[in-house]
Amino acid sequence: MSMAISVQDIGKQYWRAPRAAHQNSLRDALSEGVRGLLSRRSEARPSQESFWALREVSFGIRHGENVGIIGLNGAGKSTLLKLLSRIAAPTTGRIRLEGRVGALLEVGTGFHRELTGRENIFLYGSILGMDRREIAAKFDAIVAFSEIGEFIDMPVKRYSSGMYVRLAFSVAAHLEPDILLLDEVLAVGDYTFQRKCMDFARRLQGKGSTILLVSHNMFSIKTMCERVIYIKGGRVAYDGPTDEGLTHYERDSYLADTAWFRPDTGDLPVKISDVTITDESGAPRTLFRHGERMRIRARYNAAEPVADPHVLFSITRSDELLCCNFSTQADGAGLTALSGEGEVELLTPPLTLTADTYTVSMVVRQRGFERLLAAKIGGRFHIEHPVFAPDVFGVFHEAGSWTTNGAASLR
Amino acid sequence: MMKSLNAIGLGSSECGLTERRTDPSTMRVTEIAPDDRIVAFDAAGLAQYKGLLRVLILRDLKVLYRQTALGACWAIAQPLFTVLIFTVIFGHFAKIPTDGAPYALFAGSAVVLWTYFSEAVRRSANGLVAEAELIRKIYFPRLVIPLATVVSPMVDFAIALAVMLALMLWYGVVPDWHLVLAVPTLIVTAMLALGVSLWLGPINVRFRDVKHTLPFLIQIWMYASPIVYASSIVPASVRWVYALNPMVGLIEAFRFAILGGSPPDAFALVVSVTAALALLVSGLIFFQRMERSFADII
Repeated sequence: MSMAISVQDIGKQYWRAPRAAHQNSLRDALSEGVRGLLSRRSEARPSQESFWALREVSFGIRHGENVGIIGLNGAGKSTLLKLLSRIAAPTTGRIRLEGRVGALLEVGTGFHRELTGRENIFLYGSILGMDRREIAAKFDAIVAFSEIGEFIDMPVKRYSSGMYVRLAFSVAAHLEPDILLLDEVLAVGDYTFQRKCMDFARRLQGKGSTILLVSHNMFSIKTMCERVIYIKGGRVAYDGPTDEGLTHYERDSYLADTAWFRPDTGDLPVKISDVTITDESGAPRTLFRHGERMRIRARYNAAEPVADPHVLFSITRSDELLCCNFSTQADGAGLTALSGEGEVELLTPPLTLTADTYTVSMVVRQRGFERLLAAKIGGRFHIEHPVFAPDVFGVFHEAGSWTTNGAASLR
Repeated sequence: MMKSLNAIGLGSSECGLTERRTDPSTMRVTEIAPDDRIVAFDAAGLAQYKGLLRVLILRDLKVLYRQTALGACWAIAQPLFTVLIFTVIFGHFAKIPTDGAPYALFAGSAVVLWTYFSEAVRRSANGLVAEAELIRKIYFPRLVIPLATVVSPMVDFAIALAVMLALMLWYGVVPDWHLVLAVPTLIVTAMLALGVSLWLGPINVRFRDVKHTLPFLIQIWMYASPIVYASSIVPASVRWVYALNPMVGLIEAFRFAILGGSPPDAFALVVSVTAALALLVSGLIFFQRMERSFADII
């Protein structure tokens, strides 16, 4: 079977900052050049230092396959998309693409603020590689999808940022490429529009398009891709089924966190060896639906007995917002001492946090918050919900009971 | 009704996806690899984006004429005032000889062409940097940018030329059939401007001080060209050195096309055409070599 994308041994080398910083002006470059001639490279060219953003990357993607590209920040995901979309040229290797390529690395680049929505549809469509007839034929569909309505003849500088992004995405969505390269762009607009975008991508999938998606949102990856390529330090660290790939990624992102947060390596009297997240039945899980309960279990070792300990499990959102603390003291767990090796387990109430990524950490303090005895960042987990997103619904959502007066049903 | 429902998102918002051409064997194939060829001109790739070229030219014009309060008046006022100042200073005060033509027409004919040339060079040498966002995020043949910025000042040129012709009628000078020579002259001038920009644009991406040097260079170039004076005042012994400036032949030719008078120097014309072709070909090679790294360094 022929491949939609075949990537053979590609590498991308960048020059480090010194070269750019020193020689950004022609005058400097000329004087440096003259000095270089005179001194006969006595300074051993420190400016030539380079690094590889990608190295020896190879993979093949079949027609109609949907693949997620995951990796920590700076791993080379965006560089890979830039090479595939021909924005930047590879230093080594070969790429072969079959079919029309549509790349969305950022929504709305190319829009001109002074021009109207209508003019921008033609401008942006042309930039993305559509011809005029094609844009004209799809014009009504683009306007309808964007929900811009009568504002279409207004300069886009008067649009709200939401309208701007919706219009831009609508143009891009009608590109109908054989290969679609997406970099985090589905995370635009409000949640109804996001769902529309996801629906759109799925429909494109259904038509047989090949989609390559770079995202930090594991839900997008999980719902759209059957396969992931995990890039680590510029190389392919994993290439295979999504579930296993996400496990590798989760483990590494956890390690990346603990690298800077190292309170448990100090002289704290209690050591925490393990913080695990499972579902109610005890099976390890990182993906929870809104409203599910979770078990958090930790093993500790208190070399000297500690009286009146206060154990806390904290849940922190991906943007470092502390969402809640489960506390033995507040919940009246009746914990009187820690001594030797042991285990604590918490069964949470139904989690009503909004859809996002969260980190569990454990802290042990002396009663009354006086002394820190132990601290450890545990694993991450995700809460999934199609509607309850943090930007709209805040930290948590629980159903309330409503009473309304005088409102007749519109149905 | 359906349309307005769609507009507020209540109607069906199905995207008009057409049936997919399913056979992969008929699909366009793109090969990407490090390229070390000296000449790597991709004409077919450029042809696919001719729609973008058109749209970018239109965008430049719309934005230019919509953003400024005076709009198209700028295209009239700028050359008109330049000619006025030149006429007062060089025509009346310095009394520079013009081989018989009224000074305003003599200078005006040159200013029209020079304004086009300097605008084309200025806009397209800075064009790549101005479109940095686009270059970082979207692929398209980068050559589209200098091409668009060399074409778009032609509208200003056409307006200025119309003003120039009106000025001639006011002076009672009627152009003859030589006027058609203005077309090839403009084409060679555009080629020259493009050739210069194909060199300056990529250098400007790498070294931003080109932007600051350029106005100065353009000004020197202007005084090295027969705009406020006739090339006949240059001593005959150094005339050939003077004619190495490719704009000498072009401005003389353009002035001849509009006002008639003495035909341009053949040697100067040969220099102009040769320089335009040489800069264009070498510029295309240089540009195509450099454009692969634009996204990395811009």
